[in-house]
Amino acid sequence: MFWTVTNAMLEGMGTTVELFALTLLFSLPLGLLVAFGSMSKWAPFRFLAQVSWALQWLKKLSYLRPIKLIVDVIVWVIRGTPLMLQLMIIYFGPGLILDNNIWGSGNSGRFIATVAAFVLNYSCYFSVIYRGGIEGVPVGQREAGQVLGMTKSQIFFKVTLLQMIKRIVPPMSNEIITLVKDTSLARIIAVSELIKVGESFMKSDGLIWPLFYTGVYYLIFVGILTLLFGYIERKLSYFR
Amino acid sequence: MAVLQVQNIEKHFGRVQVLQDISFDLEEGQTLAIIGSSGSGKTTLLRCLNFLESPDGGKISVHGETLFDAADPATQREKEVRKKRLHFGMVFQSFNLFPQYTALKNVMLAPELLAKSGTDYNKKESSVEIETRARQLLKQMGLADRADHYPHQLSGGQQQRVAIARALAMKPDIMCFDEPTSALDPELTGEVLKVIRSLAEQKTTMIIVTHEMAFARDVADQVIFMDQGVIVEQGSAREVIENPKEERTRKFLSRYSES
Repeated sequence: MFWTVTNAMLEGMGTTVELFALTLLFSLPLGLLVAFGSMSKWAPFRFLAQVSWALQWLKKLSYLRPIKLIVDVIVWVIRGTPLMLQLMIIYFGPGLILDNNIWGSGNSGRFIATVAAFVLNYSCYFSVIYRGGIEGVPVGQREAGQVLGMTKSQIFFKVTLLQMIKRIVPPMSNEIITLVKDTSLARIIAVSELIKVGESFMKSDGLIWPLFYTGVYYLIFVGILTLLFGYIERKLSYFR
Repeated sequence: MAVLQVQNIEKHFGRVQVLQDISFDLEEGQTLAIIGSSGSGKTTLLRCLNFLESPDGGKISVHGETLFDAADPATQREKEVRKKRLHFGMVFQSFNLFPQYTALKNVMLAPELLAKSGTDYNKKESSVEIETRARQLLKQMGLADRADHYPHQLSGGQQQRVAIARALAMKPDIMCFDEPTSALDPELTGEVLKVIRSLAEQKTTMIIVTHEMAFARDVADQVIFMDQGVIVEQGSAREVIENPKEERTRKFLSRYSES
């Protein structure tokens, strides 16, 4: 029985790892984009501040930064609601509201919807970490690059990027470890990830220990990640 | 003709006027010290010369070529500015070395990037030439044995000397120092001042914002005293510091002689 359970669970683990990897693959770059959006200084109505005939309330518009505003609202909504709820809205929403299940039927549809929800959610969390990393690099670093005649992209890639990475590794490792365990939420729309597989033995064979046994898989997964992050932190510890 | 001509520079931060009608010339090989209390606009002036701030009015010319003209937006395009700022070298109060690179790499990075980018305004150098010169500069700063150290392994005084070498590596016409010893422990200021003094002896054209009055008097040829965004007094170093004409200058200097 132990081996039957272990084998079934390895399959569930596969789904979990796949969800984990795909979420990272898309949300790491998307998060950076969101971070840039939330730092956008684009103010298309800035000119109103100078226009003498503009009304007082119209002048307030000159401070409006539409990209930043939109991104900030999205991040607020995503961080302000449970991932489980987002998962249900994204999976069931299109079918119930628009009468059109865009996710396709069956297991693959469920899985794709889950990845979409996770990517959206984690991009927002990552964006805040990225922003902290970018803003945490002292202005003097950029200025030193500027006075040495470097281009903006040279300053980013040769000067600030590595310092930014060093700053974001600890908070990132926290968030990524949380992601490992958040994958269990996919069970709410019946994706056969690890917990769901463990639970299934309760119904089919009346066994409780397979569910508890799933904890071992999570621990091993997180253990490997912890070693990996420790390695990266050590690699970057040669400078301060 | 003067290497540097600064004409009628104006700068506002919001409603506050931080620089008002600043004009001065600097001759080749001369050292200019800018003194004044905190908030008098000295640092802002230096940052304007290095294009870290954009003046609201006035002109800056080097070797007769207009680098910046507030009335001419063409002089303010990013690409233009990047070339032109290479006339100036800048040493910051807080060093701003790149922490992830060794002292040697800090000095070599910008020249290497410039050589790679293939622009023709600076003579193209091979990486061997760049490294040789970087090592030479570090040696000149007394840091030959620190080339492979990372900034956090160096003392403040050593870091600042690396920063000076890094600025010199770009072969600027004018070296600018923004309170180069203010962030240092008193026992470390000497080694940095010594290096700057030797640069002055080699006739490097320099502008130094400083609170070290004795140093300004001994090393600088010219001194500008600034207060509340204007130049109150300028003249030869000895004259301004030992025999100031203006009441405000006298008041400011007396605070230094007391302590």
